[in-house]
Amino acid sequence: MSTKGRSRRSFLVESLTGLNAAWVAANYPGILAAQNYVRKSVEAGQTPRLAVLTESQAVEVEAMTAQIIPTDSTPGAREARCVHFIDRALATFARDKQQAYVQGLQELDTKTRQLYPDAQKFSALTSEQQIKTLTEIEKTPFFETVRVHTIIGFLSRPEHGGNHEKVGWKLIGYDDSLNHKPPFGYYDAQAQS
Amino acid sequence: MKKYSNSTEVDFVVIGAGAAGGIMAKQLSVAGFSVVVLEQGGWGKYGREHEYNKDEWLNRNLSDDDRLMSDPSRQRNTFRPNDKVKAVPGNHSYGCVVGGGTVTYGGSNWRHLPYEFREASHDPTIPSGTGMADWPVTYEELEPYYTQAEWETGVSGLRVDSPFLAPMSKDYPVPPMPLKSSGALMKTAAAKMGLTVVPGPLAIISQPYMGRGACVNCGICSGYGCQVRARSSSAVTMFPIAEKTGRCEIRVKSYVREITLDNSGRVNGVIYFDAQKREQRQKAKSVILSANAGESARLLLLSKSSRFPDGLANSSGLVGKYVMFGNGAGASGLFEHPLNEYKGVISGAGIVDYVPSDPKRGFYGGGRMTARGYLTPFELGLGGLSPGTPRWGAGYKKALEEEANHRMTINCFVTQLPLETNRIDLDPDVKDEWGLPAMRITSSAHPDDIKNMEFFRKKSIEILEAAGAKKIWAPQVAASRNGAHNRGTCRMGNDPKKSVVDKYHRTHDVANLFVVDGSSFVTGGRNHPTLTIEALAFRAAEHIIQDAKKGALLTKS
Repeated sequence: MSTKGRSRRSFLVESLTGLNAAWVAANYPGILAAQNYVRKSVEAGQTPRLAVLTESQAVEVEAMTAQIIPTDSTPGAREARCVHFIDRALATFARDKQQAYVQGLQELDTKTRQLYPDAQKFSALTSEQQIKTLTEIEKTPFFETVRVHTIIGFLSRPEHGGNHEKVGWKLIGYDDSLNHKPPFGYYDAQAQS
Repeated sequence: MKKYSNSTEVDFVVIGAGAAGGIMAKQLSVAGFSVVVLEQGGWGKYGREHEYNKDEWLNRNLSDDDRLMSDPSRQRNTFRPNDKVKAVPGNHSYGCVVGGGTVTYGGSNWRHLPYEFREASHDPTIPSGTGMADWPVTYEELEPYYTQAEWETGVSGLRVDSPFLAPMSKDYPVPPMPLKSSGALMKTAAAKMGLTVVPGPLAIISQPYMGRGACVNCGICSGYGCQVRARSSSAVTMFPIAEKTGRCEIRVKSYVREITLDNSGRVNGVIYFDAQKREQRQKAKSVILSANAGESARLLLLSKSSRFPDGLANSSGLVGKYVMFGNGAGASGLFEHPLNEYKGVISGAGIVDYVPSDPKRGFYGGGRMTARGYLTPFELGLGGLSPGTPRWGAGYKKALEEEANHRMTINCFVTQLPLETNRIDLDPDVKDEWGLPAMRITSSAHPDDIKNMEFFRKKSIEILEAAGAKKIWAPQVAASRNGAHNRGTCRMGNDPKKSVVDKYHRTHDVANLFVVDGSSFVTGGRNHPTLTIEALAFRAAEHIIQDAKKGALLTKS
């Protein structure tokens, strides 16, 4: 994998070009979410660069992460920037998984075209189609790797690139102050009162 | 720190810097003897503990220098359930740093009960054909050393007068850690069921003690070094005192491969690999082996000579046999309100009523039930959700949000019968990273152990029901295969044919060689070995010092 040094903003925006208008219309809510995300990260002055994944690979990985921990009324893997956690992991502690990602994404592409011959790529599928595709490969070592990396990226310390603005910790109600005083929970509080 | 040259014949070499090694190093050096401690692991963050990380991703990817546990891909080991099958690669791992397992453990510090030292002769439920035997030490003999261990290391807890707890001559030095929600729920259940709940005694201090700060309930505990030095590891309690004597050198990254003998059959030092895997020798007048039950037995088996062709101090043929790793069982439940169990220590209150074996149950076995539920963010996300929840997608996310902080787990620490067929030996094929034969583990559970684990599994479910859990699950029980609670491989006894060390930890075969760690356990108690290892170490040190001062131990015969 090459180091392109292109910004996340550019890869996401470019990933939307070349799609036909009908597809954009059909998938508008999802695209809007991606664009909103991009706008927010630009406003925050945070446009992390990719170290290992190419832009097109990153778009596909992000689409996978966004199905593993989807965005609904609360932030998901997308807002947590799990794809950036993964990119950084592939440059550091998970270097040995680089080839698995290259190969796995190729297989994902093959599976996508097998199920949806007209599709251009996994990320361009509708959410329902993405879920169906991932369900087909959910027993593969590649999916398991991405699943584990997504969850870790969602819940690890933000300095590793994911869990942006601690959205993962907020979802699970985790207080990262590393300094707690009793009562800790409902039942010990009840016992004390 | 004092440095000795390899050619200097020191009074004692201590192999292994864990719970027992720390006590031996400190007691012997304070008594005036020269000591070299050889530890195969590194320093960790010794003396700069605030630098320990609380980062789950980093902790999964530590450099060799920062590792606190052994690495099964380097300290290779293999496993087989019995002799009929070939061993496969195993993942046995243990503390591997100055401080050993006490640097990262949960800190449970229960005493063995008086009758646990003489079950073989007093407990009618013990099946025939096992290796159960009485200890050559009584609880009454050991009690002062339990107290010494609690006060010199720093144990929090509450002294309770109960037939299910060991009687204590003195209170704990600091009060118990705060009651957690899991403990409160355990109390609710226990009140309905007529059971006894006590705070878990922990080697984690609840108040400032001996110059160290109290636990801040950080929530990233077991598996991590303690930044505030509240966990009473030997790295913050024993080794700093040993170093200050100016007589103790701690030499890290020193992996002992052989204990050597002189012509008269006394040990005279060790051969070890340094950090660059170069072979070094250290001369010593006496050797204390404190490398934990698995590695201590393996090192004796590796130390073959014409005098001891089957391994050093192994005339009984029992070195490595009767290994016990520690059986467990338990159940988890979800509750309506948040428990936030991740805040604070991992092991909370305990139900102790089922510690004794009961003939009415129809098998031998007992155990302690501890209230838990501690899950770090990774533990929750990767394996902490209830069975049947989706592994990804909207359903996964929903469960992640709803179940977080609502879980309680009961972990039971139970008996394990010592069996001669369960053992540590040298793998004939697999070598470790240093080219030495890997540790091979052969272990299966006695049928009574399985029945006992099943009893505790069901009892855990009952307690969670009585506590009001909305959903309960309990994993199937299984025989233990490995683990840091390993013990029993150089059992102590009065008969040299039936034991490896005497009641003061001296090997029956070699007058100046001692094995002081979990190896000497005759029976497994109710798991939770650390405090008993420490009490035995204080007692052994006292006798070794007396002998050494008389001169016999340190002069050639």
